[in-house]
Amino acid sequence: MADPIHLEYEVAADDYQAAGAASNSVKETLKMLGLPTAISRRAAIITYEAEMNLVIHGGGGKIVANIDEESVELMTIDEGPGIPDVEKAVQEGFTTAGDRAREMGFGAGMGLPNIKRNADVFEIFTEVGTGTTLRTVINLP
Amino acid sequence: MASVRISELCAEIDAKVHVPGDMDREVERAAVGDLLSFVMGSDADGAAWITVQTHLNVAAVAVLKDIPIIIIASGREPAADLFERCRAEGIALVSAAASVFDTCVKLGRLGISG
Repeated sequence: MADPIHLEYEVAADDYQAAGAASNSVKETLKMLGLPTAISRRAAIITYEAEMNLVIHGGGGKIVANIDEESVELMTIDEGPGIPDVEKAVQEGFTTAGDRAREMGFGAGMGLPNIKRNADVFEIFTEVGTGTTLRTVINLP
Repeated sequence: MASVRISELCAEIDAKVHVPGDMDREVERAAVGDLLSFVMGSDADGAAWITVQTHLNVAAVAVLKDIPIIIIASGREPAADLFERCRAEGIALVSAAASVFDTCVKLGRLGISG
């Protein structure tokens, strides 16, 4: 890979119809670059869950992917309500999702745990009323 | 563990085929789940997926997990946009009148494992 690759996707609030588009694009890009399937699978899970978090909780936002020879960095940036208690939010089973999301099979409190499990670096920067940035890195073999 | 053609699998569960996808493709495993994050986080890659969810986001998960066939069980019918997306992605989309459990039992008889 010669030059680092930078991708950006806008995700709209409550847009369940478009959900999965960014994750699919990230996955396809990684596949095209010839990265191992295990890596593209992990990136797909992280991006999908992050995408859904923007749709359900973040009031929409942006997904950024930076790919170079050493790692895949995936970030989501939103200007949503922020996370009052990050420790709780990353606990399996904890959710603040509403009925609509739950009926569709989201909001089981598995999103952030799924992301954490698939990332080598997992960081959340959040402020109530200002927004949340999630940064994850997958190290390449 | 047996490799079973999707067409054979559909016959066994008496499926109503909405989108044929690749009926000649073979599957060895199946996964069950209605929580999308559960399926995303599981090792369902390449497996047949049995669910009672019928909306568009099911296709998004199937694409990401390389799932070749979605089986909507318990007599539920897919939403029109799920049908369209599966057709665009080449994913087989079928429904079965039998319950999730009974559908799984039938797949088990074919030698498909979890």
